[in-house]
Amino acid sequence: MRIASSLRRALLLAMLVGAASAHLAPSSIVRLEFRDAGVRGEYWIPASELEYARAADPGGTLPAYLLRHVAAESANGARWRVEVASVRQADYLGHPYFVAELMLAPPAGSPAAAFVLVDDAVTHEVRNHVVYVVTRQGAESTLAGALQYPARRLDVRAR
Amino acid sequence: MTRSNIAALLCVALVAFSPAFAATSAAPACRQSTARSGGAAEVAAAIDKLRPLLSEAQLAIFERPFDYANATHWSNLPIGLVPRTTLRLGDLDARQTAAARQVLIAALSACGLELLDEVRRADDFLVPFDKRPIGWGAGNYYLAVLGKPSPTTPWMLQFGGHHLAYNFTFNGRQPGATPLFFGSEPIRFEVQGATHEPLSAQSRAMSALAASIAPQAGAKLSGTFTDVVKGVLMSGPPGPDFKGGTDSGFPQSYPTGDSDRGIPVRMLTPAQRQLVRDAIESYASLPGRSISAALLAAYEGTTALDATYVGFAGSPDFSTKGSYVRIDGPRVWMEFVVQPAVAKPEDLHYHALWRDKQSDYGGEAGR
Repeated sequence: MRIASSLRRALLLAMLVGAASAHLAPSSIVRLEFRDAGVRGEYWIPASELEYARAADPGGTLPAYLLRHVAAESANGARWRVEVASVRQADYLGHPYFVAELMLAPPAGSPAAAFVLVDDAVTHEVRNHVVYVVTRQGAESTLAGALQYPARRLDVRAR
Repeated sequence: MTRSNIAALLCVALVAFSPAFAATSAAPACRQSTARSGGAAEVAAAIDKLRPLLSEAQLAIFERPFDYANATHWSNLPIGLVPRTTLRLGDLDARQTAAARQVLIAALSACGLELLDEVRRADDFLVPFDKRPIGWGAGNYYLAVLGKPSPTTPWMLQFGGHHLAYNFTFNGRQPGATPLFFGSEPIRFEVQGATHEPLSAQSRAMSALAASIAPQAGAKLSGTFTDVVKGVLMSGPPGPDFKGGTDSGFPQSYPTGDSDRGIPVRMLTPAQRQLVRDAIESYASLPGRSISAALLAAYEGTTALDATYVGFAGSPDFSTKGSYVRIDGPRVWMEFVVQPAVAKPEDLHYHALWRDKQSDYGGEAGR
């Protein structure tokens, strides 16, 4: 009985999240995890909105596109090293996404606990697109802020 | 007549006679409020007649504090995703329904009341097409009063559901007709042989404006639009447990300067300026005149109108997704966007939003 109830709830949730993606233009999500030497990020980008952005800026691979539009810097303006470690495809809220794994590293001597995310991926083209930036601490996630055109800078710090 | 004026007239004619705008609806022009409704005392009196008909439990959900959380709890998402917790129209008995209707009649113009009926009708129309527990249906529209209705102190009347959000503030620091969201899926439908097109007045007015300015340099906005720009946001970390979808982005920031806001109205011909006024009035005519008259005067005064920008993207005839029109003035912010439909994805659907840069929630919904 408990299994049936759980299954019903899961099905209901699946239907609702599908509806969410259909009703709400899908957003990007950047999940950031602070580590001793830098920050690991997962950048979730909805395929439908990325298509518009890539039509406007078609050059190169997806990692190359991301490196043109995503940067990080310390509060004093010192640039961090940004790498795209991998890209995979996934479904989220019933919508196809690309998921890029990012590694952000501060310059020598700069602390890794705080930085400015400089990001206009997709938002450089899709005016209503929102990038939600989430910091993760263990199992807990916190919404650090959101970026929508023309905003492209967000202060992010470890909690 | 200049070449650009001729081109503009041709565009208007093309839009007027395009299949998308064939005369299928009996909807009136809805450019002006048709009644002197919307007065605080008048709406409060109608609420006073509804209250005694409600149970204690109903009163508890109908009457809420006027604070940021309650004021911004509106959405363009159906109740399956963003539950509304106030007085559900579908739960009212016949007497309560009639009294609630009188509240809406007191607050709205004839155009606003007709839009409300048509949007709810469209929601009912979708029920057989989409069996997901999304919450389609005319009964899933909700009424609330935030604060204590009074002829003098601030309070708010909130009515909304999936494709409609009326947020009227009375006695606020500023006149409060906004945020006002409305939408329609399907765009056009038939019930018992009658054709309905809930956003007929607004789509025609915005499309005519887009067609008129389309040939002119600077009118086209950069970028792509897949929804309104100043709409609802998620309020918690995104995840399977959907959080938000309300106006948690309030207060909004708006474009400044001259860049990429469209063409200034001061550059338009008198006929085009009239199209701008028509489009503004197609939105501003929805609340009762007492609510919107001061706002309309503020938007359409010569100085304000001259400082207003109008821009478009996509197809001026609204035949494709991504078509978008915006009126961006010193105070007024009106958007209209064409999106893919949800219940029948091969179709299109409309979202429209009116915000006031100074007086959303009457200036009374600070954090």
